[in-house]
Amino acid sequence: MIYDIRHLTTYAYENPVSFARCSLRLEPKSADGQQLIAHAVEIRPRPAARAARYDFFGTHTESVLIETAHRHLRIDSRSRVKVARHALDRAAPSRPWETVRDVAFEATSLGPSSPIGYIFASPLVPVLAPVTAYASMSFPPGRGILAGAVDLMNRIRSGFKYDPKATVISTPLREVFEKRRGVCQDFAHLMIAGLRGLGLPAAYVSGYLRTVPPPGKPRLQGADATHAWVSLWCGEGPGWIGFDPTNDLLIENDHIVLAVGRDFSDVSPVDGIIVGSRKQKLGVAVDVLLVD
Amino acid sequence: MAGQAGEGGTQGSKTRPAHRRVAQWTRDYARLPGIPDEYIAQDGTPRAVWTRFFDAFATLSPADIERRFGAADRHLREAGVTYRAPGESADRLWPLSHLPLLIGEADWQQLTAGIAQRAQLLELVLRDLYGEGRLVAEGAIPAAAIAGSTEYLRPVCGIKPPGGRYLNLYAADVGRGPDGRWWVLGDRTQAPSGAGYALENRLVLSRAFASLYKSMNVERVAPFFEAFRDALRGSADRDEPRIGLLTPGGFSETYFEHATLARYLGFLLVEGDDLAVSGDRIHIRTVAGLKRLDVLLRRVDSNFLDPLELDASSHLGVPGLIDVLRKNGVVVANMPGSGVLEARALLGFLPSLSRRFFDEDLKMPHIATWWCGQKAAREEVLSRLGEVAIEGAYGRGVPGFQSHGPVLAGELPPAERERLRSAINDRGIDYVGQELVRLSTMPVWDQGRITPRPFVLRVFAAATPDGWTIMPGGFCRIAEQLDARAVSMGDGARAADVWVVSDKAVSTATLLPTVDTVRIRRIAGVVPSRAADNLFWLGRYLERAEATLRLIRALGTPMRDPGKGPTTTLHSVERIQRLLVTWGATSLAARAQPARIAAEALQSPERFGSALSLVRSAQRTATSLRERLSPDAWQVITEMAERLGQEVEDDDGVVSAAELTLQELASFAGLAQENMNRAAGWRFLEMGRRAERAINTVRFARQFAYDEAGDEDLDVLLTLVDCQITYRSRYLVGPLLAPVRDLAVLDPYNPRSVAFQVSALNEHIAALPSLKEHGLIERPQRLAVALQATLATTEAETLEVKTLFSLEQDLLTLADAIGLHYFPHGPNASRPEKLTGLA
Repeated sequence: MIYDIRHLTTYAYENPVSFARCSLRLEPKSADGQQLIAHAVEIRPRPAARAARYDFFGTHTESVLIETAHRHLRIDSRSRVKVARHALDRAAPSRPWETVRDVAFEATSLGPSSPIGYIFASPLVPVLAPVTAYASMSFPPGRGILAGAVDLMNRIRSGFKYDPKATVISTPLREVFEKRRGVCQDFAHLMIAGLRGLGLPAAYVSGYLRTVPPPGKPRLQGADATHAWVSLWCGEGPGWIGFDPTNDLLIENDHIVLAVGRDFSDVSPVDGIIVGSRKQKLGVAVDVLLVD
Repeated sequence: MAGQAGEGGTQGSKTRPAHRRVAQWTRDYARLPGIPDEYIAQDGTPRAVWTRFFDAFATLSPADIERRFGAADRHLREAGVTYRAPGESADRLWPLSHLPLLIGEADWQQLTAGIAQRAQLLELVLRDLYGEGRLVAEGAIPAAAIAGSTEYLRPVCGIKPPGGRYLNLYAADVGRGPDGRWWVLGDRTQAPSGAGYALENRLVLSRAFASLYKSMNVERVAPFFEAFRDALRGSADRDEPRIGLLTPGGFSETYFEHATLARYLGFLLVEGDDLAVSGDRIHIRTVAGLKRLDVLLRRVDSNFLDPLELDASSHLGVPGLIDVLRKNGVVVANMPGSGVLEARALLGFLPSLSRRFFDEDLKMPHIATWWCGQKAAREEVLSRLGEVAIEGAYGRGVPGFQSHGPVLAGELPPAERERLRSAINDRGIDYVGQELVRLSTMPVWDQGRITPRPFVLRVFAAATPDGWTIMPGGFCRIAEQLDARAVSMGDGARAADVWVVSDKAVSTATLLPTVDTVRIRRIAGVVPSRAADNLFWLGRYLERAEATLRLIRALGTPMRDPGKGPTTTLHSVERIQRLLVTWGATSLAARAQPARIAAEALQSPERFGSALSLVRSAQRTATSLRERLSPDAWQVITEMAERLGQEVEDDDGVVSAAELTLQELASFAGLAQENMNRAAGWRFLEMGRRAERAINTVRFARQFAYDEAGDEDLDVLLTLVDCQITYRSRYLVGPLLAPVRDLAVLDPYNPRSVAFQVSALNEHIAALPSLKEHGLIERPQRLAVALQATLATTEAETLEVKTLFSLEQDLLTLADAIGLHYFPHGPNASRPEKLTGLA
């Protein structure tokens, strides 16, 4: 399937901003069943300098420097991506989760795809005893890792309420867990925290969902903004498998991966610092159209 | 410093009682059973270095010893040597144990060789971890032992450290084990603290016991700092590099140390806000614009260094710093990410790494440590759970357990012990088990006798082009409790100087460079905008305190001594009080007694404008300037704050406290005038003082030289501006409005007049570098020139109160304009804000 994606980010400032230094992670990955066909980012006001590189996680990262005074910043990203993934059966057999955990502990690489980088707490995902206990109910001894993760994902979907008003980016995970509500980012962080508490390697994925659902299917939660889900390492053979706890789905062809990291702080699509204004208003609009 | 002669004497008359004293001390010295000791060896005989020390020490009379200890403490207090315990907001005085830790030459050689080898090994490990990654790939280090540390910085992977190395300064905490060898307890690779305190301890003790110190042949520490400084200088890519010491700021526990080191090493003390990235380089914001910074010695932990690539919430760092490293634009010491080697998980792998890199064993053992991420080690720990200490593998406490130090399973209730056991079984990667070692004790002085206490010694190593240089000495912390499993300054511990004692006389290098290596210079480097800001406000606070004290004195003098000074009627009392209320020095109602008003304005901690509050504000500001103030200047400020903080008994006390404080303010002004280099920094202190004095004098003139002012009012004004004598020598009549106004406001030759302050301000502003290249006159100068012209062309006879009022407004505008133009919150250098929101 081929998608055309438009991801528009706008900032409106109360006072003129004289200087901005931003990092953009807006270029979808070409890997794991998807391929980038075309991509362009337009920035207004025009930057004084732009420089691109790949960060530790292999994410295309563009550093942007703006020295023109401005009250509005507009970052318009357009991408065309081809997605072709094989569906995985939710009930497929898999290795016992403890085996996967023990293999992960023995990893001999610190690279971005090694499971070892994803079993410890990260800046936005602490390991919390109550969350670990919650997750462990899906992982009785000897259960297959896939079955356990599907069960955990299903419990989050049914036990938590999707509520964009309940949380902001800085809401701590403990509060999300206690309130039982949040958005895709919170659910992804929560599932990751539970899995890591058990010693299982879980990564955070940022990306997009197709806006218009296939005929006869419901519109998915999170389709009009950037989306977030979980990637779980299931052992040497199966490798990394995607779980969307917000929609209780295994990742297939409706999801487009933007970036993978330990949590949101590694992959935030637009990040940076500005000089000149304290108050700011952020707007994000995402459109994902199926072209073929 | 008090008495440097007469100690260590060997006159026969002194020898016998000295012998007896040493014998008595030694008899009373109760070693702890089963624990090795520094003074008395296992076999019960005293060690030679200590005997030499105590023999000389005992020739001092008990009273002399106490006097010298007192002198050392006084020096620490007066120099303001402080630290802050975690979670506290007030500075604590540095607790110095008066006896040094002595280390003999042979011992020291063992330590030096072990530390140098270890430092080099850690450097090589870092180089591999952030570079090729062969150690992990080949299984020499488990990936988990690295990945678990928050100090493993992924953005730094693959960056070649500018300057060529990861570790510039390394420290190891060591203790002596039961076998008599020194053991490493932990590695400090991030930003080791303590070297500055070690320096301060040495300074104090060597002064208090000057000849004893000399006779003991103690190795000097200065050459170590010299080598360290030269190595940092050499790591930059230009001659005469600019080096900054990056501090988290005044709230940091060890801020005093940062200031001490910056001053001693000649580095600029900077905070994150002082720095900016521009054109792939780090720059410092100065009063002359952005200036390139070549080397940054950091005392900020890695994760806070760059909100763009590391901890996004940090305000302590420099946005874009990591990218500058990527472009080889600045040397950061130690390289961000070096702290990963502080993880205990790694300890067990170092012996085999040593063999791998050097083909030799570690020269110095470290405390036996089993990382529970590996099966065999985990089983070993679980089988001996009751006998080992459990620690977090990566140094953030023990996961799942509320404890600052190690968890001792043997002391846990059964349920908790089971919880620990299953935690280790489930996520063994998070835990290490460590052997409980009994470390040696050393003598401390306790009311005329010596008594053993456990201690930890921190040894410092600096990387130089010729290899590792070890500081002969170190930072020794002594535990108060006898069970020394966790020694940190927060636990009521004391520090001690460390003497490496040589058999021969030692060389006496200091940091003073030899003549032929130095280029003659007259301007002492750049002034960071923040330092200028603080200097300006230091000047303003002190001057405002002076004005307040003058008002208090004017209010108080007649009631103490009716014959002296103007006859202050109720009328002028009201006017003085009105000023004190506007100032924020008092809130008392108009009918209150002058004595009560004076007392409140002098020392009410609740009134922000009281003399006490102002001096405290000055002290707080001066804290951020410690590396720029002489110890004398600092001492004057401390004494003022202490005096005003003490309760005053009666009306007399108020006036004399005000008078004494005024004298101290004058002596501070004298120190600044006579001792401060006439560089930009001094100008800002002066500008603050001048601006504030001009403002206050106009206010005085408005209150006491209004159009209908009578004798008494004008008399009060002459007293306030210190012009009684000048007036009387010029005019042979009683105070008249126009002459008094002329003297206080317009006379450019009177050093207390408004015109004098404005012309001084003009001079300073003109001497400062201009920030823009457009060639136009800049705003502070435009305002100051206009003010000077107004004052020069105004005549006393036609001066109106209205004019005084607009003068006051113009002066306030000028002070603000100086701030906006030169200081960090001005448009010249704004504080960055984080882009927020989920994007």
